[in-house]
Amino acid sequence: MIADFSTIVARGLGIRRGGRWILRPTTFGITSGVVGLAGPPSSGRPALLETLATLRRPAVGGLELLGHDVTGPAGQRAVRVRLGLLPDRFGWAAGLTAGEFVAYAAYFKGMPRRAVDAILERFELTDAAELEMDMLPADLRLRAGLAATCVHRPDLVFLDEPLNGIAEPEREELIGLLRGLAPTVVVTAPDPAELTGWCDRVFSMARARLIESLDVSRSWSRVPAGV
Amino acid sequence: MSDLGRVLRIDARRTAPFLAVPALALLGAVAAWHALLPGVAYWDDAVAALFTSVRLLGPASAALAAWVALREHRLDYLRGLSARSPSLGPLLDLLVLGVVTLSAYTVVAAVVAVKTLIRVQAGHPQVMGLLAGALTLLVYTVIGYLAGRVVPRLLTVPAAAAVTYLWGVARPGTWTYLLPPPDVEHIRPFAGLRTELLTGQALWSLGLGTLLVTGYLSALTRRARLAVPLVAATALIAGTTLWIHGQQRAPLTPRAFEYACRQWPLTVCVHPALRTALPSLEAALTPLATRLSGTPGRFTRVEYRPDNDFPRPGHGVVYIHLRDLSPGYEHRAEQEIEISLLDARTCGDPRHAAGARYSALVSAWLLDEEPPRLGDAAAAREFGRWDEQQRRQWLRTHYGRYHSCMLRGKDFRMW
Repeated sequence: MIADFSTIVARGLGIRRGGRWILRPTTFGITSGVVGLAGPPSSGRPALLETLATLRRPAVGGLELLGHDVTGPAGQRAVRVRLGLLPDRFGWAAGLTAGEFVAYAAYFKGMPRRAVDAILERFELTDAAELEMDMLPADLRLRAGLAATCVHRPDLVFLDEPLNGIAEPEREELIGLLRGLAPTVVVTAPDPAELTGWCDRVFSMARARLIESLDVSRSWSRVPAGV
Repeated sequence: MSDLGRVLRIDARRTAPFLAVPALALLGAVAAWHALLPGVAYWDDAVAALFTSVRLLGPASAALAAWVALREHRLDYLRGLSARSPSLGPLLDLLVLGVVTLSAYTVVAAVVAVKTLIRVQAGHPQVMGLLAGALTLLVYTVIGYLAGRVVPRLLTVPAAAAVTYLWGVARPGTWTYLLPPPDVEHIRPFAGLRTELLTGQALWSLGLGTLLVTGYLSALTRRARLAVPLVAATALIAGTTLWIHGQQRAPLTPRAFEYACRQWPLTVCVHPALRTALPSLEAALTPLATRLSGTPGRFTRVEYRPDNDFPRPGHGVVYIHLRDLSPGYEHRAEQEIEISLLDARTCGDPRHAAGARYSALVSAWLLDEEPPRLGDAAAAREFGRWDEQQRRQWLRTHYGRYHSCMLRGKDFRMW
């Protein structure tokens, strides 16, 4: 279904890699909220996220994000400042502190220094800002990645397997954080079961098709996203 | 520190390309050191050595740039989704890589300059050659980086090195060796690199680098105003390529010079780039001159000549041609003079093979070499028995036969 207020509108969107379909031409719309996307990495899930984040050109079809047609450069330029993407195993460098990492991202997103301090405080990273990324435990490292991704307060965020490697006690707390990152958050996991219960909608990628799962428990989704 | 400065510092730390500077500098310096003519201090040859080092340093820089681009690809999620221009990230990378490459090149150029300076130098430093080498090296870096950006796979790193190396060593066509980096090997004294050709090569590299960078940025940003530098760079490349193609002459031009001479006891004159060889040449050639005194082959002046210039020796002047001052050059000069004493026409005639063997016996004495094994053992024994004065006296009377390889066994039965 495509609503007038959809954040993501894909019309006949198809993605190919190496001569085969990663996503066969598909039409779908995503409104605000937390949307889960399940499928193993080999299913082409990262490529779909990159395409939705305008870093990859679709093979066919049209794509609108936040009301802009992003198949052209003008639309991409307009919308990129409002997007955030955090890949699985996101890159940083040895010797870089969490604070430097977020400041680095802030520079490219055109944000002032005070925005770095604000996001570090919001994500409870002020004490860890001087620690090197390599030294951080997995949950704090994820927080630093999220802070770098969201330092410019994006309207639409894509997260590729953010909870991979996070222990159960920290998971619940981080899910609350993830839901509040932006009005629309697209989050992935290899198994749909990991997404049910806290995502408003869950899609699965199978055989190059996107299928919406109707079995979504609403325990977390009663809390609106973006708060 | 400004935000940009902080980001550049982080980029430099993050990708750690400066760690590669010593390795690149060592690689380039070793290549340049080996490319310099041994013992010869000549600025034009120093530029040729720099080009040789660029042919090796370039592929290494391209591989490094491809690897950095590969790593930077992982950060597209931060730098690509940017409020700033999408060209900022690649430009910052190229800036850091350019500084790394030029740092290594500066070290190489310094090593070459010091090696040329510590000897008595000849010619003048070719600033345009230095610039052409630097710009060519930057083009290698740009090619490697763009290859890594366009095809972000590990295989791109060795592929970038291999392809750029092949461009340096194997050129298609007959004139393409003049394109940067030019394959000029050694510049020997008497010749110099043509400054206008070096300028053309520098402009060609500048054009190619600009074309590649603006072409990539144009594809990235789709900014119409990038068409201006793109067209200008294309025109520059086309113009300089046509101009270089039209250069039918070799990249060298004759260079005026004044001989550096040593006057006593023998006058030995060489190109100033070989000035350091004067004492040892003097010492090595004086015994030969002494042995030939009183014969028609006597000489009092030795002149160093270009490779393609072979005047007939005479009137007390002999000529030598040294490719470099690698160990044994004094003896090679002696041998050249000695060979010039013999009549090539008669000595090459098989009918005078026996006489040629007797002449070889005499030549061995003249050059202080081991005497050859001779069929006529009696003649060899007799010649070996004579003292220095007897041999010189004998040579004065038999020089004509020695010169034309017509010596006979009975010529050695004098005393």
